Amino acid sequence: MDEFQSELVALLPRLRRFARVLVRSDADAQDLVQETVERALAKRRVWQPGTRLDSWSFTIMKRIFIDQTRSKGRWNRVVGPADETTIHVADPAQADEALKLDALAAREAIHGLPEDQRLAVGLVLVDGLSYAEAAEVLDVPVGTLTSRLVRGRQSLVETLNAKGVTA
Amino acid sequence: MSRFDDETLMRRLDGELDAETARAVDASAAADDALAARLEVLRRAGVASRAAFPAMVDPRDADLARLIAGGDTRPARTPNRFDWRRWLTPRGVGLGAGLAVAGFAAGVVIGPMTSPEPASLVDPGGRIADRRLVQVLDRRLAGDGPDGTGRAVGLTFEATDGRWCRTFNDANAAMAGLACRADNGWAIQALAAVDSPDGEMRMAASDLPMPVLAAVDSLIAGDAVSAADEVRARDAGFR
Repeated sequence: MDEFQSELVALLPRLRRFARVLVRSDADAQDLVQETVERALAKRRVWQPGTRLDSWSFTIMKRIFIDQTRSKGRWNRVVGPADETTIHVADPAQADEALKLDALAAREAIHGLPEDQRLAVGLVLVDGLSYAEAAEVLDVPVGTLTSRLVRGRQSLVETLNAKGVTA
Repeated sequence: MSRFDDETLMRRLDGELDAETARAVDASAAADDALAARLEVLRRAGVASRAAFPAMVDPRDADLARLIAGGDTRPARTPNRFDWRRWLTPRGVGLGAGLAVAGFAAGVVIGPMTSPEPASLVDPGGRIADRRLVQVLDRRLAGDGPDGTGRAVGLTFEATDGRWCRTFNDANAAMAGLACRADNGWAIQALAAVDSPDGEMRMAASDLPMPVLAAVDSLIAGDAVSAADEVRARDAGFR
């Protein structure tokens, strides 16, 4: 495997995490990851070695998500019970109950955000990209990204507060 | 009333403020309980959000890794290019820090599965299913080098959650990985192909693949153990 392939494999957990922010169901998230990988492989000659593969891959995923949401109405399947009630944590043995409940509430709140805010929150708050990197992925000015991020986060805090999570 | 708005507080938590403003926020928070509480609410929302969407191992990654590796048509690599001297150097782990994947939160990744029989190495529950490899992880020391089948251990260390973890190499399968001791076996934490020596620059700084190094860096509590401590841990069953 070459550098591109190795890095793309290493990115899979992050790509799946971003997909889970964008779509509710696990099956849809898997489809989104799969399509992103296929498109990245098809477009690999466009990618320039030495540049960020994560930002590039997130950009591909965002485009697929937005294109298909708007053109086909995908990612709106009926959500199964397991998708709603199962919260995955990195190490279930370590996660205390309070954090699990907080995480469940946060997931619901983030999924309830408008699309542009959800994208900003997913890239910065969840994945940890810098504001500049996230703005590049979303192809918007940093100021626009920041404003979406602030609004999304304020809404998130309000929702969590209403549920008593961050009180 | 605080002079800092929500955006400034968020920027503070995200590391997006210049040093001077960050210090000003911290100083104000130290003297202003209301401001400190606002910061804490935002911080907890971030913690909950990251816990809601962890980057974690998924068995389906193996299929995607095969898809990604599909375009690799180079001839099969020669086995065992590991530098055992480096594996025997406990502090060599630090080399991996600079290679860790940015934002690698969960510290776990399944790398490319290019073994002829990858399914036999790990069971669906993420436990190592290769009996030979389990025996090597249970009993073998780094100083022993590879066994007759090319399987060997490298670094041994305690993870931040108290588990014992060991890197390993399966030279014949050209795979390297990281496993941590669980109640009923060894739980795979990272698995990746070992690139051929003429493959790429990325391997120059280390002889462990990047996904494995990143997993080690994200899990290790201190340093890898010395040879004597490795013997003691082995004799205690890595418990």
